[in-house]
Parts: sequence; structure tokens; C-alpha cells
Amino acid sequence: MALLAIKDLTIALPPGADRPLAVEEVSLEVSPKEIVCIVGESGSGKSLTAHAVMGLLPGRVVATAGSILFDGADLLRETPEALRKRRGRDIAMIFQDPMAALNPVVTIGRQVTEQIRAHENISEAAALKRAAELLAEMGLKDVPALLKAYPHQLSGGQRQRVMIAMALSLSPRLLIADEPTTALDVTTQAQILKLIRRLQAEREMSVLFITHDFGVVADMADKVVVMRHGRVVEKGATSAVLGAPGHSYTRALIAAVPKGDKYLPPAPEAAPLVMVKDLTKRFRRGGLFSRAPQVTAVNAVSLTLRRGETLGIVGESGSGKSTLARCVIRLLDPDAGEVRLEDADIAHMKEKSLRPLRRRIQMVFQDPFSSLNPRETVADILIAGPKSFGENVPEAKARAAEMLRLVGLNPQTMHRFPHEFSGGQRQRIGLARALMVKPDVLIADEPVSALDVTVQAQVLKLLDEVRQQMNLAMLFITHDMRVAAEVCHRVMVMRQGEVVEEGPTRDIFTAPASDYTRALLAAIPGHGAL
Amino acid sequence: MSFAARFFSRPATLFGFVVFAAIVTIALAAPLLFAHGPMAIVGMPLRPPGPGLLAGSDVIGRDMAVGLAYGARISLLVGVASTCCAVGIGVLLGAVAGYYGGLVDDLLMQITEFFQIIPAFMLAMVLVAFLQPSLSSTVIGITLITWPQVARVVRGQFLSLRSREFVEAARVLGMSDARIIFTQVLPNALPPIVVISSMMVGNAILTESALSFLGLGDPDLLSWGTMIGSSRVAMWVAWWTTVLPGVCIMVTVLAVNFIGDGLNDALNPRRGC
Repeated sequence: MALLAIKDLTIALPPGADRPLAVEEVSLEVSPKEIVCIVGESGSGKSLTAHAVMGLLPGRVVATAGSILFDGADLLRETPEALRKRRGRDIAMIFQDPMAALNPVVTIGRQVTEQIRAHENISEAAALKRAAELLAEMGLKDVPALLKAYPHQLSGGQRQRVMIAMALSLSPRLLIADEPTTALDVTTQAQILKLIRRLQAEREMSVLFITHDFGVVADMADKVVVMRHGRVVEKGATSAVLGAPGHSYTRALIAAVPKGDKYLPPAPEAAPLVMVKDLTKRFRRGGLFSRAPQVTAVNAVSLTLRRGETLGIVGESGSGKSTLARCVIRLLDPDAGEVRLEDADIAHMKEKSLRPLRRRIQMVFQDPFSSLNPRETVADILIAGPKSFGENVPEAKARAAEMLRLVGLNPQTMHRFPHEFSGGQRQRIGLARALMVKPDVLIADEPVSALDVTVQAQVLKLLDEVRQQMNLAMLFITHDMRVAAEVCHRVMVMRQGEVVEEGPTRDIFTAPASDYTRALLAAIPGHGAL
Repeated sequence: MSFAARFFSRPATLFGFVVFAAIVTIALAAPLLFAHGPMAIVGMPLRPPGPGLLAGSDVIGRDMAVGLAYGARISLLVGVASTCCAVGIGVLLGAVAGYYGGLVDDLLMQITEFFQIIPAFMLAMVLVAFLQPSLSSTVIGITLITWPQVARVVRGQFLSLRSREFVEAARVLGMSDARIIFTQVLPNALPPIVVISSMMVGNAILTESALSFLGLGDPDLLSWGTMIGSSRVAMWVAWWTTVLPGVCIMVTVLAVNFIGDGLNDALNPRRGC
């Protein structure tokens, strides 16, 4: 018998939401000792389904029909008190952002013991001993020091391990994991996924795993449930669904996952457009007079970028890839080194003489929600650049319409405000804004990492088309090796402010020279399975 | 829902707006409504309100109704003028401090704090006395004690807005700092500025009344505060001489605050702006 059986679950959204039902007639089962993945894009209802199991639906969002049977008992009909007792003891949950889930002013030791003592009547000392054992089981080192530490002193991976320790402290039979690795670096993600698998096997528990990433599904799941717009479109054994997807949406999702198996041929030879030499950027921590040491975010990095080519800069958080990009485009002032744009060294140029050159290097930003001024219409956003470089307004307006068409948007939407567009559409507007001033160099800083996988594929394709059409030199910053493999001619791998290696994409992916690159490649979820 | 519909959806806001509009109308129409000015003596002192003298007469026989209407001119003028000046200074300094950060921010915020640690009303009093009491010195005094709160709010807004990617995009597009501050960041920082300014109008009216009550108002003009101040000796025998101007102050400040609350709700993005 299934440990968890969700039957025809329907969850209603409050009136005024974009659709009446968040989840419609969803049914799924989790058997003992089984890992079931719910996979879907944003708005698919996957997270609400999981929260419904925990009885943690946000206010005004209610389950209106169906049942959630846990070990035969219907959770939807249990009293809040009975449900509270189940949480942690029978069913536990871990979340995407461990920093938000941990209390920042309480030590790790206290938070873990508090969780244990809330359910079991044992002494502080006994609870502390249990906590230490648990943290050790999570593969954490130097446990005594960790127990006295505060959340901000831990790395993201350590924090997520602590969260898992807390979730498992009462040996629940079902663990619900809601995108637990989405906020983590790829190598850390691989470790956490491995940890969850190991714990699942050792403790013989069931796991309901929510993710948007088919790579993670391939690595984790025994069974997979694909959701879209609040409905289940397909479910079955992982190998069956991944090997022979029955539904066109599943096929589209799998096809949209960057595979990293087809590489761009080397870009045609051309004279270097951007040459960065020994660029160094340091940040001072704390105030002006603080004695905290400086952090070298980018350390003597050199690169060359030619017209018509895309150079990918890949690295985990803290690798300095974004700082490097911001130095090249002079949003930050480098401490040392050169940034040559053809003949001009712009690294230390004064803002005034730099301004006319700014037109030539443009940027597409990461966050589609903060990269467009919410108080301006799309038309205003697009003509701001040409206006500031002296073009007259009617001319710029005419080109704006043309540019919107180029990035795949209807020019008639020009008078609308950014909030009327989806994330993918906003990224297109951001790209159009950059292209309006006819740049030579385009810097794309994680342009697709905030987007759903199917939208991601479209935007990547658009970026590549635009690069060809306008013969741009593109600097593509990403943390995702799979994305880099899709669009880059050459790849530079960075770690802690330094270049690990650089070369044609095919070489980096098929014959990496450094251990670090090999580790990055091995950590890609679904490596080889998709 | 449109902005106007949201703004007027609260009864208190609608009330505030109507009352405020009425006070403004009376203030503007005062010279048309009354043949003689507020200083003219029309009859016996301390006549109670009644036919012919709607609001009675004061200690030296001036028409209280004329005084109240002309007093509205002073109160509104001081309230609006000092708020405009304070918002101007506060927005400029706050924007520069918040946008540039670092040393500029440290320096400007030290200056702001200097003004904030001095007891505000004392500063205004000393300043007005020093400059000789007049309408303009009252406005200067009130401006000087109120701009720091605007500067702090604006700085906070700019600090959080300047790191948004659309501001970086504007820099990359070659916009000058002044242009970015005024066309990109400021429009996004407006809602709290509008709300705080509407509240400041009410506070300025109160401060002006207090200064005038203490005899630090313009001696050639009759404001509500002056009326209360000059009538306080007759408070126990002729209630209308102090209560009526007091009620005027209260109603005006209340109306302005209701408008401020309404603006706050209507501009709040969480209500779907």
C-alpha cells in the first residue's frame, strides 16, 4: 500500500488570481522507500501540492476537493493539532532557501535541539548529543564548533545539511523536499542530492521531491510526475518517462533541457575587439576605516573577445565571473589591468570620456523583474539609450518597433508597462534595449537563470540569432555548464577570481585539463542520463 | 482600479479631501467675502457669536470670522511653502547621499543628524527670533527642522533602488548621473515622498500656530496661532476667541493627515498599483 496517496486533489486560489484553481484533480502515490519527483515549470502547482500535504497552504488558498491519505488517514480532514503533531514526526519538509528557513540569531545547536525537544520529552544534554550525531550523519565536519555557530557563518551547502538534519531528527517516514538544491552551486547540489539518496536508503524513508530540473529527476527519482497548469500531464517510472515520454509537453520539457552534446563550431577568425589584460578587482569589507582584509574578487584575469564569437565565463558563486563582467562594462572600476576596446583602454577612463564609448558595450541582465524600470513604458525604456546618445525621438521610436519585432514581441505592446509581461518577454525587452544602441559587444549576465526551462531555450536561441545577425561579440556569464555548452564558442572556467582553464567549448567539455572542470562536469545533474 | 478610485474609496480620505478643498476655497475667497481686512475693529470687544458677527469678536473688537478666513491663508501658505522647501532640500540631499553612498553619504548624513539631534521646536524658535518674526522667517524655520526626515526617507529609497539592474542599465546606456537620479530612480521613490509631504503640511501648520501663539508670528498678519495667543487672557470669559481658531487648526491638520493616509494606501504597490 502506498504511504502517501493523493487523490483528485483540487486547490482553489483566492478570487482575483490569474486562474481559479491552482491544482486540479491531481492524483499521485508515494510507496514506502520510494523517491517520487514532481517536475514542472513555475505556476504548475507542484509546490502547492507539496505544501498541501504538510497542511501548510498559504492563507486564502484552500484544498476544495479530493483527499491526501497518509498511511490510510486523510490529512485534509485532520485537526490542526493532529496535523501539527505529524509534522516533523511523520512527515518532514526541507525548503529551497535554507537561510530563510533558519533563525539568524539562534545557534545551530539550539535550533536543532529545539526541534527535537518540541516533540520528545528529553533533557537538553541528551538532545544536544542527538543533534551532534545527526549533524555527523549529514557528513558535516567539526560538529562541536558547528553547534555553536550562527547560520550566517555557514556555507549554503552546510546550511542545507543542517536543514536536512532538523527535518530527519525525528525519523519521519516521508520527507518532502521543495527544490532543495535550486539555490546551491552545482558541485554542492550534487553532494546534497547524493546525501538525500544515501539517507533515503539508510533510513528506508520515502521522499517526495519537487524540482524544475529534469537532470535532477534523472538522478533522483524512482517515479516521476509531470505537472503543468495545475494538472498532472504524465506520470510513471523515471526510465519510462525519460526514455519514451508519452505527452508532448514532457517531450518539450526534456528537449528544452540543454544537453551539452552539440557544440558550436569555432567562430570565424577576426581581429580582437575586446582585450582584457591582468584585470584585478578587490573589494574592501566593512566601512572605510575597518581593518577587515580586502577580498580579491578578480585576480589578474586576461581574455580576448572577437567579433561574431561568444565567450562563456563559467563558475560557481564567488568565482568573480559577474565582477569581471561588470569591470569590462565599467559598472565597477577595476583596481588594475587593462580593458581594451579596440584601441582605447577603458579600464581607468574618466566617466566623461567613457560615456560616448559606452554605446559599444551593452548588457543583458539576470533578473527580468528588476532590470526594467517599472514606471516606464516599453517604448520609453527602448528609446532611452538612443536618446542619451543623441538620436532624435521619432527615429528611435520607429526603430524600437522594429527591434521589438526582431526579439519576437508585438510592436503594438510598446505602450505597456513591464509588469504586464512574463519573465521571458521581459528578458526580450531587456535584450531589445541593449540592441537599440547598436552595440559591438553584448555582455549577458546569467540571462536565462531566472527563466523556466522551455523559455530558457527560446531566449538562448534568440541570443544566438541576434549575435549572428548583428555580428556581435558576446560575453556570456553563467553558472550552468549545460547552458554554456549550448551557446558558446569558447569557454573560460573561473574559480575564486582566477581562470582555471580556457579553450574551445568542445575541448573543455570532452577533454577538460583541470580537476576542477572535471568536477564541475561530473556534478551536472542527469549527467549522461538525458 | 484607477488611482483616483482607490484614493477616494476610503470615506476618511474623501472627508479629508472635501474639508481641505473647502478650507482652500475660503482662504482664497477671503478678500471677496469680507469688505474689510482682519485687523479692522468692527464693534464691541468679546461679543459672542450671533447674527451679524458669525464668530463673535475678539478682545479688541475685531471680527473673528474674518480673522479665521484670513488665518487660513497664513496657515496654508506656511504649510505648503515650508513643505515644498523641505521636500526640495530633503530630496536633493537624500538622493545624492543614497545614490553615491560612501563618503558623500557619510558626510551628508552627519549633517542631517546634526539637525535631528537639536530639539526641533527650540531651533525653529531661536531661528525665527534671530531673523525677526515674519512670514518668510517662519517658513525658513519650519523648513530647517523638517527637511531631515525627508532626506532620510529619500536616502533609504535610493540606497535600495540604486542597486537595481535597471539603474545599471541606464548607466550602461550612457545616461548622466543627474538624469538617472531624476528620471530613473526618483519616480520609483515617489510614493513615500508624497505621503510624508502630505503629513508634513499638517505638522508645519501646527508649528506655525505654536510659533505665532508664542508671539513669534509675523506682527502684520493674523494667523490662527496669533488669534489664540492674543485671546488667551479672555479664554475663561469668551470661549469662542480661542476654541474657534483651535478647531480650525485641528480640522485642517486632520484633513491633511486623512489625505496622507489615503495617498499612502493608494500608492502602496502591495494593493496592486
